[in-house]
Amino acid sequence: MAEAATVTQPQVSTTHPEEHSVLNKSNAVKGEATPVKISITLPTNAYFMSGIRDFTMTVVQNMTGFSEKWAYRFQSVVDELTNNAIEFGSAPGEDIKVTFVSMEGKYIEVFVEDTGTGANKKTAAEMTAFVDDHRNIDPTTITTIRGRGLTQIVVSWTDTLEFQDNEKGGLTVHVVKNLDAGEEGV
Amino acid sequence: MAQVQITFQDVNVGSKTAKLITFSGQLDETNVDSEAKKIYQVIDEMAEPNLLLDFSDLEYMNSKSIGYVTDWYSKASAKNGKIVIARPRVNILDILKVVGITQIITIYDNLDEAKAAFGVAEVAAVGTAPAQTEAPEA
Repeated sequence: MAEAATVTQPQVSTTHPEEHSVLNKSNAVKGEATPVKISITLPTNAYFMSGIRDFTMTVVQNMTGFSEKWAYRFQSVVDELTNNAIEFGSAPGEDIKVTFVSMEGKYIEVFVEDTGTGANKKTAAEMTAFVDDHRNIDPTTITTIRGRGLTQIVVSWTDTLEFQDNEKGGLTVHVVKNLDAGEEGV
Repeated sequence: MAQVQITFQDVNVGSKTAKLITFSGQLDETNVDSEAKKIYQVIDEMAEPNLLLDFSDLEYMNSKSIGYVTDWYSKASAKNGKIVIARPRVNILDILKVVGITQIITIYDNLDEAKAAFGVAEVAAVGTAPAQTEAPEA
């Protein structure tokens, strides 16, 4: 079970202080209808990931206008990002935070935050360089068991992938998928 | 926590025997490392590892699971064996495509076609025969 889950329709300006800088990166545009924001904080334990996948499917299918195909795709995107945060970003006993922001018919975006206390901390600059180095690699040349999640699945199935060093000393990964015209039901 | 069941069955594919490995449930970070060992054991035990992975009841697989599939493929190929995948669900086929696995391992819509990949002439006679020609693994 997630430690906390909240469903709100906040104004960006009323966001919790710790989230403010993260949501400044959001697609949300002042003056437009307010996006739906859902934040889940969970321990660094892969046990909870099937629940996050189920939740992602529910959010994408019911609150975004994306097709079932994209719901499955975003389920994988969130699973890969969450797993990376648990495995590398936050130490055992700490938390990671997953935030969904969606505007029905327009986009969904996800922020995954870790605390930078994990076994293999990376900076935003290092992660950006890593993705840039691998994003065009021929996937058939990958011979390792790892190495397909971020650079193949996440890169392929999002319109925006960016990294930010966060206030906790960790990394925030931000992905956006826009619902392009004519894409509904695809 | 994700649940997955993997069952093994010997099937005759022409003059060869293949291992039909059926996956049911979800393969993710919580279970894939332990479950993968079962497949490695099969590959180690077979002189010519011919594996037919039936994904019809596989609901989810993460990137590490896909990595294991490619590693099983490499190890089976190194022993002159072969791995094919049958009946993946739409979402599973989608993720296999995006990581390029469909360029390495052949995917079949049904079991008969997948079995035929190991020995065309003999399997044609098997057709859609029920499982009595297939001996469950002890």
